[in-house]
Amino acid sequence: MQKRFIGIFASLAIIVAACGGATTTSAPPASGPATSGPSATGDMSASPSGDASVPPASGALAAEQILNIDISGEPPTLDPNAAQDSNSLTVLRALHRPLVYIDKDLEIVPALAESWEVSDDAKTFTFKLRDAKYSNGDPIVAADLVYSWKRLIDPRTAAPYSYVMEEVAGGPELLDMAGAEPAASDADIVAALDAFSVEAPDEKTFVVTLATPATYFLSAMTLWVGVPIQEKWITSEGATEAANYVSSGPFMLDTWEHNSEIILTPNPNWYGDVKPTLTEIHMSMSPEPAQAMAAYETGEIDMIMPVPGEDVERVKGDDVLKAEYSEQTSLGITYYNYNNGEGVARCADAKACPTTNKNFRIALTQAIDKKSFQDTTFAGLGVIANSFVMPGIPGAIPDYDPYPFDLAAAKDSMDKALGELGYASAAEIPTLKFGYNSGSGHEPRVAFLAQAWEEAFGLKTEQIGSDFSVFLTQRTAGDYDLARNGWGADYPHANNQLGGLFTCGGGNNDQQYCNEAFDDLLTQAAAEADQAAQAALYEEAGKILADDAASLFLRWSVTPQLIKPYVSGLTPTPMDSQIPGEHFYETIQILEH
Amino acid sequence: MISYLARRILWIIPVLFAVSVITFYLMHAVPGGPWDREKRLPAAVQARLNAEYGLDQPLYVQYIDWVGGFVQGDLGPSYRYQDRRVNDIVADGFGTTFQLGIMAFVVAVVIGIPLGIVAALGHNRPPDYLSTSVSIIGIATPSFVLAILLVIVFSVQLRWFPTGGWKGPETWVLPTLALAGFPIAVIARYTRASMLEVTRKDYIRTAQSKGLQRGAVVSRHMVRNALIPVVTILGPTLAFLVTGSFIIERIFNIPGVGQFYLSSISTRDYSLLMAMTMLYAFAVAFLNVVVDVLYAYIDPRIRYS
Repeated sequence: MQKRFIGIFASLAIIVAACGGATTTSAPPASGPATSGPSATGDMSASPSGDASVPPASGALAAEQILNIDISGEPPTLDPNAAQDSNSLTVLRALHRPLVYIDKDLEIVPALAESWEVSDDAKTFTFKLRDAKYSNGDPIVAADLVYSWKRLIDPRTAAPYSYVMEEVAGGPELLDMAGAEPAASDADIVAALDAFSVEAPDEKTFVVTLATPATYFLSAMTLWVGVPIQEKWITSEGATEAANYVSSGPFMLDTWEHNSEIILTPNPNWYGDVKPTLTEIHMSMSPEPAQAMAAYETGEIDMIMPVPGEDVERVKGDDVLKAEYSEQTSLGITYYNYNNGEGVARCADAKACPTTNKNFRIALTQAIDKKSFQDTTFAGLGVIANSFVMPGIPGAIPDYDPYPFDLAAAKDSMDKALGELGYASAAEIPTLKFGYNSGSGHEPRVAFLAQAWEEAFGLKTEQIGSDFSVFLTQRTAGDYDLARNGWGADYPHANNQLGGLFTCGGGNNDQQYCNEAFDDLLTQAAAEADQAAQAALYEEAGKILADDAASLFLRWSVTPQLIKPYVSGLTPTPMDSQIPGEHFYETIQILEH
Repeated sequence: MISYLARRILWIIPVLFAVSVITFYLMHAVPGGPWDREKRLPAAVQARLNAEYGLDQPLYVQYIDWVGGFVQGDLGPSYRYQDRRVNDIVADGFGTTFQLGIMAFVVAVVIGIPLGIVAALGHNRPPDYLSTSVSIIGIATPSFVLAILLVIVFSVQLRWFPTGGWKGPETWVLPTLALAGFPIAVIARYTRASMLEVTRKDYIRTAQSKGLQRGAVVSRHMVRNALIPVVTILGPTLAFLVTGSFIIERIFNIPGVGQFYLSSISTRDYSLLMAMTMLYAFAVAFLNVVVDVLYAYIDPRIRYS
């Protein structure tokens, strides 16, 4: 009693006291709060696993097949083209299925497309669609895909994930139009959409022509954004309300009580081979992880992912809960930015911006005991990271570690850096600005790093905790010397890992990093059709990042989860963010209990 | 009286105007915007969204647009919940928040006032100590601590009530108690202090010396007079309760509007934030008028003209 008492109390108190930074971002560990962490395992499916095609039936099924889960907040939208937040995706994955999908090992497998052909120049993809119907009984036709894809990239839709269409011929022109000044005219947009190379020669054939040979195109196609959408549905009034919703996946939207509950029921027209066993999925929307944790303990919900960080130790020591506990490797990374100074005015003088010095960054990296960091601030959950791309994705270099923890070497590197910068000692360096978003559990991590640097070099840092938006704005502007960061994979491909994050001027390049050799490798890799050769190029690019100490890579995510013993047939993947097995609700079964 | 009332109610308009200008200016002065995500939207997409929602206009134009909508009852689109209008979001959640607030208010009054009376009548004796201790604990305990204690004891341990949600009376009990805790304590303390002051008045001594029953003295003379200052705080308390509590709604996962006070700020959902601010400002201003009217009813010496 006492242990449980203290545990729940601590988690609630911490979170309530910090209610400020409650912002959900797409994909799991991106906002990396007290939640996701790795363990000493690199295993890609460390938890009860099932198979998408053959649901295991261990034990007798319960008479009532209702799954109760929590999606941690009201989905901002259920329009597949417009969705980006993880609470939306958790629902959309039950409601829709794209042309191709991932399996539990993240291999690309047919879904709505039963097969596809690739032209000899690797630019034209011809998909053959299955005989399939929407939840409203209408057939799913190739024209709906054409409509959906054009709507996704139409600048007037302003879809957050429009960029996944950039490989399609005509795509880059449309992406450029979105921010054009003055705004592109409707006529120009329509003309550009006509040139956008997706076609439906007949009802069951969908043809896409790419601007360059395919590389990560199929990976991006597994996302929720490219699903078939009926024009007459999405343009109707209140399309995303339960009464009007048209789904193409294993489930359909039965009830959407805003801010309160979503209920899904099986889609009778679902074309997949595995029909849902569940008769209902109830999704509550608790913004407060500790409430969800309490609801799990009382049996109101059947699974929780991630287990709140404050509760992990208690759960592992609890006689009942420890048997329900498991850890899932996730495609995410926790890292901290060094300001590399590219394009930051105040960093024109390196002396004012010491993190722009490579030896300085190397010294900071060598001074961090990552294992101790992870044990202290992530309950020991995670896989130590010394590079960016997550293990399991082609192009990962999990064993590459140019700057291991070594205080003597760190001091040498620091001496070199001080000489280059023109300081006599690290204590002379003006206080560095260390930014993070407050209220999401980052405080102990920031303090750990700041303390390690102070102890190693006498380096002073000012830790600045801000509201999430303020923090992002300042991180992007390069106002910080050091800043918290995190990333969760949208799709398991190195391009999604490196492109945009580290390329010169890239959209998410908040470490202000720029190395042309790196950019060249990425460009080459993007054009490389051979998978093995492409992976080798990404490996090489990843080594440049690590060698440059572009950022302080700390840990790849492992997510702690609790699953009631009567939940069976889960198909977990490293892409799951909120619900174990959220990519394959149709295989889930409830056992007698 | 009528003209006084009309004047007071009309005064609410400039109050709301001032609140709206200040809030509108401050929320746009804070860095960041509604499209901020850890994975940044492409700049082009952000520009397009800004244009679509009018965020690329000068601030005063945006404000005029907002006022134009507001006076016609249109609170605008939500920036966060992109399929929905703020009107629908507020309409969906306000009933729940209002119900919770009223229940908590009733509980607070029904427990708080008797607690204060008992304390005053048993001045410096055990009933007083007990009542004072309860109210001191109540004031010193933040609502989230009380809420968590209730969840741990009555949900996780005893399994009497669900941990959250809003689906029928069994889910109402814990949040109502958690929300009522603080106002109970405040009301009890005000009542006690006010009762003690009244007890020493000449008219009470007169009533007692002319041989009135103690019960009649207490109910007709003491309590009625002692309640005037209590009513003063009931207005703002009610305004606070019916407009919702961020913390209670969050901890108990209640689909009200209270949780938007803070979440609309952190997500920069400007239109929702404005709606919430106006709602709260109106509730406070209006209930203060109601309280003033109640004074006249309770205390015949007070006359408005």
